[in-house]
Amino acid sequence: MADTWPLNVDAKSPNDPVFIGVGELPSGRYPDRNFIGDLTRVGLLALADAKMVPRDVDTILLIPNLHSAVDQADLIFSRMAEELGLIGHLKSSFMVHSGGSTSDNAVRLASGLIASGHARTVLVLQCERWGSADVNEMVTMLSKYGIPGEWEMPTGLQFNAIGALITRRYMHATQSSPEAMASVCVTLRNWAQLNPNAMYYGKPLTVEKVLASKVVAEPLHALECPMLADGAVAFVMTSAENAKKRGLDTMVRVAGSGGCVSHYSIGQEPDLAALGWATAAKRAYEQSGWGPEDAQIAQIYDTYAAVTAIAVEGLGFCEPSEGARWFASGAADPGGKLPCNTNGGMLSAGHTGVGGGTALLVEGVRQLLGRAGSQRQVPGVQRCIVGGTGGSYMDAQVLLLERVAKGGK
Amino acid sequence: MSHNPIRDEFRAGLARGELLVQKCNDCGGLNMYPRHACPHCQSSSLGWQKASGRGVLHSFTVLRMGAPIGFEADLPYALGVVKLEEGVQLLTRLVPDANGDWDSYACDVPVEYVPMSGDSIACQSAAWFRHTSSK
Repeated sequence: MADTWPLNVDAKSPNDPVFIGVGELPSGRYPDRNFIGDLTRVGLLALADAKMVPRDVDTILLIPNLHSAVDQADLIFSRMAEELGLIGHLKSSFMVHSGGSTSDNAVRLASGLIASGHARTVLVLQCERWGSADVNEMVTMLSKYGIPGEWEMPTGLQFNAIGALITRRYMHATQSSPEAMASVCVTLRNWAQLNPNAMYYGKPLTVEKVLASKVVAEPLHALECPMLADGAVAFVMTSAENAKKRGLDTMVRVAGSGGCVSHYSIGQEPDLAALGWATAAKRAYEQSGWGPEDAQIAQIYDTYAAVTAIAVEGLGFCEPSEGARWFASGAADPGGKLPCNTNGGMLSAGHTGVGGGTALLVEGVRQLLGRAGSQRQVPGVQRCIVGGTGGSYMDAQVLLLERVAKGGK
Repeated sequence: MSHNPIRDEFRAGLARGELLVQKCNDCGGLNMYPRHACPHCQSSSLGWQKASGRGVLHSFTVLRMGAPIGFEADLPYALGVVKLEEGVQLLTRLVPDANGDWDSYACDVPVEYVPMSGDSIACQSAAWFRHTSSK
């Protein structure tokens, strides 16, 4: 198998795929909102950000929801073409799904369609109603999806237990303290204080509070587990040539990507303290020519502190085994050496299912476009590392994103 | 439930008190979890080998709330990833210590397979392990 995957486009290519707009609705519990309404609103927000209208779109890529099979089917069968007035105009509308890493794969797919000419402008849409869904249904879903029915369901496995198995091994292998693990959650909460769209905006957190919360799945405390939320995000990608033709002077290109599928069943992961991150990072850095020192910010999937700590080690942001202590040092905080998860991440902005990773991706693009607002815009951001993972942390996916602006600023 | 001889034979083993590991009749490779074709050589000629039952605990957790439907009465209960000495691994339930908790457990401790009754396996077909020095 090939060890390297050279990109067929570069920053000078007319068909270089670029992000030109993003949209987002607040995350949290919003029983007054609804699924199709939110998808429509967030799609229009992203298009307005891209200075476009729906008829500028020829392809819609849908990110799945996990709250309802019926809503899923609606999306698959092109409902959004009707809602956005694109009947007879749209070339295609379809779904891509790899759980929490879907957004990374949606970017790869949209990029391929644009670079090859199968699409000119792709609208990617996501909405999840986890926050308002029936709690019993959610408990059932989180003990079935991504868990092999023949081999692991009979043990009583569920998602907090999966997070706990990773956390226990990570703490053992790296000798990270409970305080260091809790500090990851506190860093995310610090960022959420700068994001009015975050579920925990206005609700600060301390290490002491995390460790005083009840134990859910040893060694995880309740405040180390993600809170299910409603949310919606969207983004628009097109070719660099089309973006320029439309008079846009700021866009975000994909400098490279890398991935590694390390298991499907949590019981089959050879090293729960490593997962696929080092391999995915190596592949992404090789494709782009970047190293970890080349980015000013990062947005890394963060349903549990250990998942993120393992990722930052694999990505080379710190020495091996130092991920949690690196967060505890404040390196990823507002004003830190490498700001991470600047929207508050899934642990503090809200876990919007498959959309949690999409929200992190959109935050990275927003920062690179310089549109994160006066409170949390990181100054001088040119490059961002995005990391995602799906299912039972079955894969590690890395996207390397870079700002392209007229005059190079 | 759909027809699935691999699953059913594995579970029948557990019900007899035997932990089975799939063995390829062509390349001799061991597969866990059992597969429909050998992942090493793609052969469809697959059999079983009785596992030694000895291994080490890669990681574990004690679930204290939020059990899936059907497991509520089991709370609290412990799950572990066990690496068998044969070189394959699986997710298991862990037998508590005499005090009803799992204080003697830690990552990398030696663990051994504990056969359960056929009735118990018919209800929840999971493999159970315990800390080798915990009785």
